[in-house]
Amino acid sequence: MSEPAKEKEAVPAATPANVVPAGAAAAPAAAAGTVAPKPAPKAAAKPLPTPVFNERHGKLILNSRYWPTELWKSPWSLPSYRKGALVLFGLIAGILLTGAAVGELSRWADKLYALIAAFVAARHWPAVTTDAVWDLIKILIVLHVVLINGLWAIWWERKISAHIQSRVGPTYAGGWHGWAQTLLDGVKLLLKEDITPTAADKWVHALAPAIVVAPVIIAFAPVTFGKQLAAANLDMGVLYIFAFAGISVIGVIMAGWASGNKYSLLGGLRASAQLVSYELPRGFSIVPVLMFAGSLNLSTIADAQAGYWHGLPRWFIFYPVIGPLAFVIFLIASVAETNRTPFDIPEAESELVSGFHTEYSGMKWSIFFLAEYGYVLLASFLLATFFLGGGASPFAFDHVIPSWIWMLGKAMLMMFTFLWIRWTFPRLRADQLMDFNWKFLLPWSFANIAFAGLFLLFR
Amino acid sequence: MIEYFSKVFRGAWATVAGMMVTLKYMVKPSVTVHYPTEKLVPFERFRGALLFDPGTCISCNLCVKACPSTCITLENATIPDPKNPAIKKKVAKVDWYTIDFGKCNFCRLCEESCPTKPKSVWHSLDYEVVFFSRDEMVRCWKAGTKFVGQYWDRKEKAFKDPEGQIQIQDVQARR
Repeated sequence: MSEPAKEKEAVPAATPANVVPAGAAAAPAAAAGTVAPKPAPKAAAKPLPTPVFNERHGKLILNSRYWPTELWKSPWSLPSYRKGALVLFGLIAGILLTGAAVGELSRWADKLYALIAAFVAARHWPAVTTDAVWDLIKILIVLHVVLINGLWAIWWERKISAHIQSRVGPTYAGGWHGWAQTLLDGVKLLLKEDITPTAADKWVHALAPAIVVAPVIIAFAPVTFGKQLAAANLDMGVLYIFAFAGISVIGVIMAGWASGNKYSLLGGLRASAQLVSYELPRGFSIVPVLMFAGSLNLSTIADAQAGYWHGLPRWFIFYPVIGPLAFVIFLIASVAETNRTPFDIPEAESELVSGFHTEYSGMKWSIFFLAEYGYVLLASFLLATFFLGGGASPFAFDHVIPSWIWMLGKAMLMMFTFLWIRWTFPRLRADQLMDFNWKFLLPWSFANIAFAGLFLLFR
Repeated sequence: MIEYFSKVFRGAWATVAGMMVTLKYMVKPSVTVHYPTEKLVPFERFRGALLFDPGTCISCNLCVKACPSTCITLENATIPDPKNPAIKKKVAKVDWYTIDFGKCNFCRLCEESCPTKPKSVWHSLDYEVVFFSRDEMVRCWKAGTKFVGQYWDRKEKAFKDPEGQIQIQDVQARR
């Protein structure tokens, strides 16, 4: 009978605060009865032993969390909640301070260009080399904006969706809030088997992801990331973006057709119907913006919104009636263009498995995702440029924080809106989707153009 | 006209209200219990894995009779009769005691029938009753064995301590 004594030593006596409330009420001592085989006296109710914290078996949540939603009563009393808020605040402050320290990126870009030019001149290379190298750098940067955005947006979406559903999302990969989750998922996807179904049209099946993703990267060329910060300063930038963004539909239809699967085909057909329909209000909703700015150049559109009305920034979203209406129509149409949840009938999981990318696996499948998140980022930057003043600061007194930080912040806010919408709404039915587009968004985008015309006429 | 605009307004309002709900839930603390590193302790009357105290048991066989799924087996301890050493005499002690968790349906009838005080067999709050092999399902106790018991590994011909379910029973209430 030496065992119980050992057990007693290993388990330190509890302070009353650590005792399980339920257990303490009814129980005589847990360990007391072990030594004496005689019945233990009723009165000797010793406090229950505190369980030892044990790396292997983890810690026990004793008197705090019988039902986890009790945490919602006073979240600020939780140390982890306060710490999380502090970390979030610190991150934002850190980004703002870094931005203030770095300053305008276009200044650094000019310096880099001068450096390359000097290097080329010193080596007596032809002068074209400078521009060639410079363009290569810009292409690489734009490409990596899309690629890194995939990593970031998927992690963020998983975090946001988890917190909206009161979960925590990825936690373990990488240590801090699962930051490496998408990286490791990418490695996993690279290692996965790449299956082409026997019924598939091999070439078209392999080509479809490329046709979906290439236009996204190309469409990023005229996007402004701040003042004087676009890979290509195109005068018809808006048209260029919309033209290239429209090409992805072909890839989606190709994917649906070539998979040799009825679900994929249905998904591809629905996608073509939906994407082509929503292109219209999406295009028409920004016509008022173009009318006010008088240009298709994204930098000019952003610059047209500089200045303040008594402290309120002259962003397009703050124009009475016209601005918010155009913003909402463009936002809804953009969500529909990216096939995200309220409008995800092309990949409706419950009916079509996952639509046009049912038969894709491994890297081909992830390329579809890359394209989707690329379009989300593109739409976020377009929303920020058209309606939120681009790189303009919302505060008249702010001259410190550079334009690229504001641009990034606004784009991220818009991306958050995308994720927020995705995890709030259920899917629309196909006929509701078409009704909403043709009977609501499109007429109102036309009406909005008329409002803008009246506004300009009587201004 | 008014009907149309009121419909649009109601739709927009419902949309915004829905989004506010998700936003509200997003900033609430998550309810996740990180299971392997955090474990909830169940309520007092939870019927977890059975524990047994060979020191208290009087080997009365009531639990064996009470058990509806006949998962309990025990044998009396014996001492040689002082008059005739060839005859073994039963004493109110248990020689060995087993519970087959493969059969156990966690009904608490054995604990209720147990006449000793404190109970010799009782339900802990341990819900981690997980086994890798059938051998582990059969818990064995002898005099001096811990409350959790041991299992007989038939391959290695040895008694072994059960793995991974030794924490929660430490905080259980024994009546």
